[in-house]
Amino acid sequence: MSALFSPKSNTTLMTVLATLALGAGGTIGGLMVFQRIPYGTQQQAPIVQPVQFDHRHHVQDDLIDCRYCHASVDKAPSAGIPATETCLACHAQVWNKSPLLDQVRASWFSNQPIVWTRVTRLPDFVYFNHAIHVNKGVGCVECHGRVDQMAAIEQVAPLTMGWCLDCHRDPKPRLRPLEVVTSMRWEPPADRAALGEQLAKTYDVKPRVSCTTCHR
Amino acid sequence: MPSLGLPIYGQHDGRRPDPATPERWRSLAEAEGRAAVEAGQYPDGDEPAPATFGRRGFVQLLSASAALAGLAGCKPPREKVVGYVKRPEGVTPSLPGYYATALSQGGHAVGVVVETHEGRPTKIEGHRDHPASLGGSGLAEQAAILELYQPDRLSGVRRRGGHMAWSALLTELSALAKAHEADGGARLRFLCEPTSSPALAALRQKVLARFPRARIDTWDAIGDDAAREGARLAFGRPLEADQDLTTADVILALDADPLGGEGEHLRHARAFAARREGAPMNRLYVAEPGYSVTGGAADHRFRMRGAEVLAFARGVAGALASRHGLAALAPLGAPLAAERARQAEAVAKDLVRARGRGLVLAGRRQPPALHALVALMNEALGHVGRTLVWREPALVDPATGPAGLARLAQELAAGQVTTLVITAWNPAYTAPADLGLAGLLGKAPELLYLAAQEDETSGLAGTVIAAAHPLEAWGDLRARNGLASVVQPLIAPLRESVTELDLTAAFVEQGHLGAWRHVRDAWQAQAGQAGFDRTWESWLSAGVLHATELRAVPAEVSAAAVVAAVVAAAAPPAGLEALFAADEKVLDGRLAGNAWLQELPHPISKLTWGNAALVSPATARRLGLEDGDGVKLTLRGRSVEATAMVQPGHADEAITLPLGYGRRVVGPAGQGAGFDATALRTVGAPWIDGGLALVKTGKRQALARTQEHFSMEGRDIALEVTLEGLPHAAHKLEELRGDQASILPAVDYSKEQYRWGMAIDLTKCTGCGICTLACQAENNIPVVGKEQVLQSREMHWLRVDRYYEGTPEEPTSISQPLACVHCESAPCEYVCPVNATVHSDEGLNEMVYNRCVGTRYCSNNCPYKVRRFNYLDFHPTAPPTLAMLANPDVTVRARGVMEKCSYCVQRIERARIGVRALGAPGDTIGGDAVVSACQQACPAEAIVFGNLNDPSSRVSRAHRDDRRYDLLHQLGTRPRTAYLVRVKNPNPELA
Repeated sequence: MSALFSPKSNTTLMTVLATLALGAGGTIGGLMVFQRIPYGTQQQAPIVQPVQFDHRHHVQDDLIDCRYCHASVDKAPSAGIPATETCLACHAQVWNKSPLLDQVRASWFSNQPIVWTRVTRLPDFVYFNHAIHVNKGVGCVECHGRVDQMAAIEQVAPLTMGWCLDCHRDPKPRLRPLEVVTSMRWEPPADRAALGEQLAKTYDVKPRVSCTTCHR
Repeated sequence: MPSLGLPIYGQHDGRRPDPATPERWRSLAEAEGRAAVEAGQYPDGDEPAPATFGRRGFVQLLSASAALAGLAGCKPPREKVVGYVKRPEGVTPSLPGYYATALSQGGHAVGVVVETHEGRPTKIEGHRDHPASLGGSGLAEQAAILELYQPDRLSGVRRRGGHMAWSALLTELSALAKAHEADGGARLRFLCEPTSSPALAALRQKVLARFPRARIDTWDAIGDDAAREGARLAFGRPLEADQDLTTADVILALDADPLGGEGEHLRHARAFAARREGAPMNRLYVAEPGYSVTGGAADHRFRMRGAEVLAFARGVAGALASRHGLAALAPLGAPLAAERARQAEAVAKDLVRARGRGLVLAGRRQPPALHALVALMNEALGHVGRTLVWREPALVDPATGPAGLARLAQELAAGQVTTLVITAWNPAYTAPADLGLAGLLGKAPELLYLAAQEDETSGLAGTVIAAAHPLEAWGDLRARNGLASVVQPLIAPLRESVTELDLTAAFVEQGHLGAWRHVRDAWQAQAGQAGFDRTWESWLSAGVLHATELRAVPAEVSAAAVVAAVVAAAAPPAGLEALFAADEKVLDGRLAGNAWLQELPHPISKLTWGNAALVSPATARRLGLEDGDGVKLTLRGRSVEATAMVQPGHADEAITLPLGYGRRVVGPAGQGAGFDATALRTVGAPWIDGGLALVKTGKRQALARTQEHFSMEGRDIALEVTLEGLPHAAHKLEELRGDQASILPAVDYSKEQYRWGMAIDLTKCTGCGICTLACQAENNIPVVGKEQVLQSREMHWLRVDRYYEGTPEEPTSISQPLACVHCESAPCEYVCPVNATVHSDEGLNEMVYNRCVGTRYCSNNCPYKVRRFNYLDFHPTAPPTLAMLANPDVTVRARGVMEKCSYCVQRIERARIGVRALGAPGDTIGGDAVVSACQQACPAEAIVFGNLNDPSSRVSRAHRDDRRYDLLHQLGTRPRTAYLVRVKNPNPELA
């Protein structure tokens, strides 16, 4: 009686099984990698805004503090999008005929808000609070990067949960004095670890890593 | 594109099929051969199927390209962010704002504080400084926020079938008013809701000054007119009793429900609960036919037919007179049967023992004679000035009973009314059936109706004007004691709508002014011009206008008049008794379209999505009735079909018929819910009537109850002891708390800064269910519908279990609110395969929705059965206005995810960030600073929440209480929610 399976069958079976396993694993692994590379997290993706607002000019040349426009950053969960009124506080006088500000004036006179495109987006099940971070010495730069050098704002941090947790588990290297929390140019001292140690004590920094800290 | 040649279901190529095989058909016409399709598959007139690159090929290509494009679609679309043009003062985006206003409760104010997010009201809480709330809230208050966002609200004005602008209607109303001016408004009538609004009162005076022969009637289907009528018998004028349960040691409630829904029940519940701890504990006697919330809280509940309550009261009065020397009551005595007489004597003895510290109450459905008798009893016992005072009614028109409605019906029938303006809610539905008002309304040539939604009356009215929600409009109201509040809007009207003030003002040519002007002007006239702007602002922020209370009036009961009224009171009607009842949830039916309330289990019967004819077990046996049996009820020649339900503890030979259901024209939530008991109601006997005939129809209806099993099976679940037995129970309670062996290692949380915990005092809990509703509003909990409730898939995070003890005929009941108890050794956690439910450092049992894959193992392993699973996707089907209702601080859960009580972790985190971000370094959250939604709403303060690691917090003290026990302690789960055993204070003489 001849064998039911030829000797080749073993190899075939193994190859098929290995392909299936590698394929499934590869797909899952590939997706997991994709979610973590800058292309997947949408870092540095170019974003077109309705108004060509240049942070470089406003921060570097005019030395306007972040909080002038993002006024609720130190007291509310949301940093706040400036109202058209805020733009016109200066631009009613300065560059009040510039075509770059057509949209802003149109918004003011038609009483229709400017619709910006969100750059830094967290999923809906994440409850991030700006106030607590800013008041505990986490500078704007830590998450938003050198905004003062960006022609158009782009996302610099991966905003993955692992990235959040890195800092929540050890915030000290990222702390800075509250006086320079919005500063873009502050250079940490050589011994940042020691400074972080001291600031964590002064500001009573106690980041939590329980799920409900961010997910409710 | 070549066809694959595969047969496609439902298509044939035009050839006749083989007669031997049965033919498939898509419509009856096709089946009968009337629509035989010849030559080609499309009927005449349609394009023939293209031969080459056709629709199918196109779709195939489209789907292939869509599949490829899907790779690029892995990224979510970019969100938009929209700032303000001009930021409104006082608004910080992403921080909630709180505004004080007032809602109407039968025309009286209930002060509330409303939470708004960027101008969007999301939650209503009670107002601490308002006497009708004291910080607690009721079902109607919590549910009002859903009414604001009801998708089926009316918009604008509908006049003679067409849409019309309010300004255009004003022109027509002006002409109409001028026409009525000729005869002084003799043919002009108004039918209104009861109201205490001073601004409205001022406007009505103006209307009556212009139309001296017009009349304004007030109608409330479930009002307190019998009480005011009783006061008229006793004092000669309609006074309002203002009771204070904080000073009452002995309370006798005669078919009254002061804890469940009558009068200022939130204040009464607070006062009653406060007197359940400390010495001396109060004692509550309840004589009632149905099982009310107050009956459930009673120390002694005497079950009797509604018509027997007066006789029982006379028995008590007789005992007070004959044995305790209260001569004034002597002519009122009446003999009682042996058992009843013993009860009446015990009550009388207790009342005399607590002379001046007792209180007798009568319910709104009892006749005026009983209210008069109660007034006399309270006076004779020296309660006036101590536990109650008399005040002039705060209502503009205290006559809210059916008499005015009956007079209006007569005039309508006689064709004496040309213009009828209805601002009362839905009289075509609420009017007693014998008036036939629905048929008569059409006789008024001009019928104007102010309504928020389509209902039974709106279809009859030639002009329907959309009514604004109280959170959208200006107004003012008074509490029962006269304390005034300004009603301020929190949002611009979502629909084009006006208020009763605007409509009334239209008849004095002021409809264009707007409600704000009327309210402000009326108060400015009182407060004076000087500095009024600041006064006004301070009123708005305080929510109450201090020192506007009405003074108590001295009043002496005319004993002779009371005796005459009581003696003349009609004998109890014979036969099966029909007891109409105001529903705790939908009131007179106006909230029947409110899905939250429809799904909320009734406090006693635990019935959702409808009402039922309630009958006692003995009467059910006699009539051969079982739960869910269809019955035909006939009273005075009118019939209605209902579903019967056996209610343990109900009086025999009486049937409770809850009003407010069986609406015919109502939003989706109210459709098909229950039967319309109003169809049996009459003007002569609007609450209690005899001679009800009942026939079984043979139909069956499923009753969606959330609790079918009422016994604790001898386990220690909801515990109750008597005040005397409490010291003896100490040992047993000791066994039900403290350490217990567990297979899980104990975690030491004592070093943590916060250890959140809860304590629920069963002595204070009345089982009203407001905690369930408040939790639903706070935590974005979906409504699942009757079908899902029948499958036990309701989503309420917090349920209130109600257990009966004793015989089915004379049971006592105990209610136990139960949400996740946040076990320190949680059985749910170690069975979760994906770590979706874990413990936080502070000991909260957290549910991580995004990790959950829906195995439901956790729910299976939860001994308390408090986990809820999203079997269906309940949120995407919600209309867009309802999305505005969602609390932005709580995730909206998707299908296939488990959820449960989170201890309102969003409130904990808000408090934490508030203290840590804005306070000084080292500041901590106060032990009582975090208030859970259920705790905040509870009028009785039965629930406390806070930090167990703060020894001075209220929750810590409750956990150290001698009455504390842990639920299912033997399992070793170490729950964070502790229960305090219920203590009852029965009269030893009635043991």
